[in-house]
Amino acid sequence: MAAAAAAAPTRAEALSLFRSLLRTAKQFSDYNIREYTRRRAADAFRENRALADAPAAAAAFAEGKKQLEVAKRQAVVYSLYAPKSKSVMELKVQ
Amino acid sequence: MTSVSIRSRTSSLRFKICCSAKKETVDKVCNIVKEQLALPDGTAITAESKFAELGADSLDTVEIVMGLEEAFGITVDETSAQDIATVQDAANLIEKLVLEKAS
Repeated sequence: MAAAAAAAPTRAEALSLFRSLLRTAKQFSDYNIREYTRRRAADAFRENRALADAPAAAAAFAEGKKQLEVAKRQAVVYSLYAPKSKSVMELKVQ
Repeated sequence: MTSVSIRSRTSSLRFKICCSAKKETVDKVCNIVKEQLALPDGTAITAESKFAELGADSLDTVEIVMGLEEAFGITVDETSAQDIATVQDAANLIEKLVLEKAS
């Protein structure tokens, strides 16, 4: 398998991946998973903001895309077993 | 006897102020931005405040737009999201999308 020289993602691509991750996070009905996905995505992107060299950035981008696929699959699986009651964190303050 | 009647009709100045959002929308946007950027309570946010000036980077902007989508129940597409630079921009876009959704 020829390792194609992956070019570093452009700013727009990285932001698009971030947006996709956040959108996928929205689909989870479970509060915990939703918040975790959001938090983890934000943390990871922030951590890798300043990656200087192209291969490292490309690797991080590829990793992000993989995680997006995982999240999408899990969103489908979790939707099959959605709990009926909401988490206490989601209840509006009375 | 011909009477020439000059009907002077003032050109109808339809002063349509397009793209100006309601105050409550702007306020709601300001609150969401404050929350997202964890700004101290005394920070002054007006409609003209730029996200970059408030200390938001592009990641923060994406998160803010997501928060706005959720709060107003709209979906912002990529290209529109990239144009948002100030609170006013966001509020205008929100109003437009809400109107489109209602129609």
